[in-house]
Amino acid sequence: MKSFASFHPIVIFVYYVAVIILTMFMMHPFILGLSLFGSLVLFALMNPIRVFWRDICFYALFFLLIAITNPIFVHKGETILFFLNDNPVTLEAIIYGFAVATMLVAVIFWSKSYNDIITSDKFIYLFGKIVPKLSLIISIALRFIPLFKEQIKKVNQTQKTLGLYTSKSISDRVLSGIRLFNSLITWALENSIQQADAMKAQGYGLKGRTNFSLFYWYVRDIIMLTFILLIFGSIMFLYVKDSNHFTYYPIITKIPLSIQNICQFVLILILMILPSLIEVKEIIQWKYLKSKM
Amino acid sequence: MEIFKIKNVTFTYPKQEKPVLESINLSIKQGEFVVVFGESGSGKTTLLKMLKRELTPHGKKTGEIYYKGNKLGALDDRTAASKIGYVMQHPETQIVTDKVWNELAFGLENIGIPTSIIRSKVAEIANFFGIHPWFRKKTTKLSGGQKQLLNLASVMVMQPDVLLLDEPTAQLDPIAATNFIATLKKLNSDLGLTIILVEHRLEEVLPLADNVVLLEKGRIIITEKPSEFGKYLKQLDQEHPMLHALPTPMKVFYGLDTDGKSPLTIKEGRDFLSIHYKDDIQALPIMEKNEESEIVIELKNAWFRYERDLPDILSGVNLHIHRGEIISILGGNGSGKTTLLQVISGQNRTYRGNVLINHKKIQKYKGNELYKHNIAVLPQDPQTVFLKATLREDYKEIANVLNYTTKELDRLTDEIATKLEITHLLDQHPYDISGGEQQICALGKILLLQPKILLLDEPTKGIDAFSKQTLLTILKELKRQGLTIIIVTHDVEFAAMISDRVGLFFDGGIISMDSPVEFFSSNNYYTTAASRMSRHLYANTITYKDIISICKQNGEKIYEKTMD
Repeated sequence: MKSFASFHPIVIFVYYVAVIILTMFMMHPFILGLSLFGSLVLFALMNPIRVFWRDICFYALFFLLIAITNPIFVHKGETILFFLNDNPVTLEAIIYGFAVATMLVAVIFWSKSYNDIITSDKFIYLFGKIVPKLSLIISIALRFIPLFKEQIKKVNQTQKTLGLYTSKSISDRVLSGIRLFNSLITWALENSIQQADAMKAQGYGLKGRTNFSLFYWYVRDIIMLTFILLIFGSIMFLYVKDSNHFTYYPIITKIPLSIQNICQFVLILILMILPSLIEVKEIIQWKYLKSKM
Repeated sequence: MEIFKIKNVTFTYPKQEKPVLESINLSIKQGEFVVVFGESGSGKTTLLKMLKRELTPHGKKTGEIYYKGNKLGALDDRTAASKIGYVMQHPETQIVTDKVWNELAFGLENIGIPTSIIRSKVAEIANFFGIHPWFRKKTTKLSGGQKQLLNLASVMVMQPDVLLLDEPTAQLDPIAATNFIATLKKLNSDLGLTIILVEHRLEEVLPLADNVVLLEKGRIIITEKPSEFGKYLKQLDQEHPMLHALPTPMKVFYGLDTDGKSPLTIKEGRDFLSIHYKDDIQALPIMEKNEESEIVIELKNAWFRYERDLPDILSGVNLHIHRGEIISILGGNGSGKTTLLQVISGQNRTYRGNVLINHKKIQKYKGNELYKHNIAVLPQDPQTVFLKATLREDYKEIANVLNYTTKELDRLTDEIATKLEITHLLDQHPYDISGGEQQICALGKILLLQPKILLLDEPTKGIDAFSKQTLLTILKELKRQGLTIIIVTHDVEFAAMISDRVGLFFDGGIISMDSPVEFFSSNNYYTTAASRMSRHLYANTITYKDIISICKQNGEKIYEKTMD
């Protein structure tokens, strides 16, 4: 159920960059609200209901905590609602608190789905484009970490049966740790020499290395990329063109019901729910295909 | 056409006086399958590395190696890297990347093949080797056999003309090893690939070989066809240690002093016996069981699993082991044999049932009490035993556990080192000695604990026939001193030679437990080569020695001259 993930890694990466830039740097209420909405819908589509509710409950508390903190400490704004310990609590500060909380929670949920969608091989591919050697290094490291863990476990078990440092005292445990660490470094070096040999044997180090990957550009990737860039561009264009910039202090800017604002709202909505739309389309498509079978 | 010609090559490592290779002359033709073998330290690996330019060690070399008529050194880099393939012993250390598909493409990327071509080549090779079901898996999630197959595939994807392999099956279990060798056979016979294989497990390899090369102390002493090979080996020395490495049919053939072409496979061995030997005496007498001494290890209805929602590894195991016995426990890969050993040694605790060591529940042993003069474990990977820079320092650590004085420790170290014949290795780094020696040295460290019960996990894995003989002698000597030994192994031949009782571990329990003769003669599939080769004529013959003795008792069939 991750059809958005099947797009080319660059398309996905560009999408996330666009969404995160908008969410983090434009404190516009449309963007924040729709971004949170979009990230939650995508998260709900990609995870079991149980996980979704568990996370929602946790982040709702987090959200309230941040939203409440702001008006307690910040006293800017013109509309004073009441006084708390002789300090004014303003409407603007409350609303700004909610905006910041929305922004944080939205970014968190976007990163959650990002982690699921951009897997290690996609990550390697993306950064391998920029620094080819780096992708190989990351790949080697990703392989080596589990190997190292396994060796630690094995050595520990063996040393236990040798009766060495099995007492529970702290000094014993520290000593045993140091001993183990020393030998593991030797083991790792020994291992890497053999690995270097294996790499050389397969011609590593020759000029003109190519970079093979399992990701190919299809027409739909190009269409999707163009579409994302177009919407992102239009949103930015409308935002810059808007002479009446949105501010929270000292008074919240009013957003009139104008064609320009409606356009902006619709564009942001489309961008934010784009991955969810793709997921939903896929679900419906499969239901339909199954009923035909 | 000659693919390799080695002309009078002598090679000496830096700072050493004695050469590792001395006046080597060898010619290898295209499409040949050559097996190189010899004791550890005979220079097999060095010889193989001389043929792969990228791996050639530093040192002084005289003589010349030619690849297809040209000097190996004059080859261009891309040809050298791709046309000469090399597979190493440890499946783990030669895998570079974290994904299978990435690993397959690695060599092709290096020599700069365009990605569109890599795509089709990788697809082709994955199909040929049957890798496609795990094509997108992580390399760390593969089994040992799969890893080694992947290594072979990622070399073969570069379409080499010749394949060099350095003990590729030493770390694999028998089923994976057979599978790997079958793949080599396919490559050699279907694709005409030249193969040079360094190997000490000759049982399956020899029937495939065109030529066998024996190295001893850096010199080639025999180059022969497999069927003639044993004859020359025997001429050299009646008791040559490498005779132990030969496949069972050959051992029987030469043990009976027969002349001519020796049988190589079990089938040929079977025919050889039927044609040449009478079967008047049909069975060897079974040795009477000794009186059973007291029980030292007892498992009562032992259940174990790693986590609550994982399946049981041990399900109701019952086991009695008597003092001074050698018990072998056989079983497939991942059947839980090692776990059983860990339960006996207190590394893992049962969640139901009891483990009694010397009639005392294992939980009642506090701290390292269990490991002082009591139980000692030799793990599968001997490298995990060593933590220090030299063996001697490693041995010294034991003094901390048993509170030996320096004098006592020195005396014990000397005693054990002499017994195991490892005195010359004591000041070396544990990683610098060969696999077989590592195994023996690890055993030495464990014996310093002066245990009464010895648990061995796959002690014959990756060691050559000669080291195996040494190990056999040592273990028998330890048994005479009253030690109880439990061995967990895949190696049926070893189990047949050493054990008092043999058990099969399957589906969480020990299925049958019997003397080796009864165990192996009643099994049809899970049995030794000797038993499979002779069961059509004789009963109770489970080692090559048994066959030789029964054949001698029966005598040869005498054919009339006029028969043909």
